[in-house]
Amino acid sequence: MRRYQATLLIELKEGILDPQGRAVEGVLRDLGHPVESVRVGKVLEVVFQEENLLKAEEKAKVLGQTLANPVMETWTLEALKEVP
Amino acid sequence: MKWAIIRFPGSNCDEDARFALKKAGMEAEFVWHTERELKGFDGVFLPGGFSYGDYLRAGALAAKSPVMEAVRRFAQEGRYVIGVCNGFQVLTEAGILPGALLANLNLHFTCKEVGVRVERVDLPFTRLYRKGQVLRLPIAHAEGRYYADEDTLARLKGEGRVVFRYAPLKGEGDYNPNGSLNDIAGIVNEKGNVLGMMPHPERAVDEILGNTDGLPFFLGMVKEVAR
Repeated sequence: MRRYQATLLIELKEGILDPQGRAVEGVLRDLGHPVESVRVGKVLEVVFQEENLLKAEEKAKVLGQTLANPVMETWTLEALKEVP
Repeated sequence: MKWAIIRFPGSNCDEDARFALKKAGMEAEFVWHTERELKGFDGVFLPGGFSYGDYLRAGALAAKSPVMEAVRRFAQEGRYVIGVCNGFQVLTEAGILPGALLANLNLHFTCKEVGVRVERVDLPFTRLYRKGQVLRLPIAHAEGRYYADEDTLARLKGEGRVVFRYAPLKGEGDYNPNGSLNDIAGIVNEKGNVLGMMPHPERAVDEILGNTDGLPFFLGMVKEVAR
């Protein structure tokens, strides 16, 4: 078995108002950074063992589906790498 | 009528729920979230609190508990399931009720009494209220902004499944405490046996706390059983 680390990005769906992002946006503007918008998401780094990269990718997809709520969120497998 | 009050790590309205159910003359027992069966119960109450510290999303981790598969079967069998506050979040996260509860628009944890209008009185939980009656009920949450996609929302409205809506108590304009779509405070499933709501009727059942607007909610269920 090999060790893999999956990096999952979970974000609020487009069009859903993100008050956290709005608050950060407001503070950035107050600090003199005229940003257009900020959205706050979550990054999960999950380490697990699997036989090979193909199976690890399948596993990572299952994790994404399990951890994100499809009503309000989308998930992306940002990275998958073998780790020592 | 005997209720199972499900306890997750971080539940904190479990005692309030038992107090209210017993005050209305019903039996109630606590059931730990690792149980897989719900034998001998007529109803399930998912109490408020901060299950798993609201980590990942409010109610998300509790929704994966072993007991929730039993709750899902219980609901499918047409038996009563009530989720209040965190319990409502758990029911949506488990997909037993549609939609989701997002962070309050103002980002505050909001703990106060609000106006809650009763939209339907043909359910056991509401049969002792008048249609359109505005109750004064406590809320205490940071993630109570009801959200559902347009189709789901249209279905909920069309099928009369919005049971409670936020409403002005004394004519105030800004009465929606969290930005919920359509002022939704509570919904039921298609059969009407699964109810989720953010306001806390169980915290408004005793004179000594100055508010008994929640008591008919529980008394109505007793009447249901007697029918």
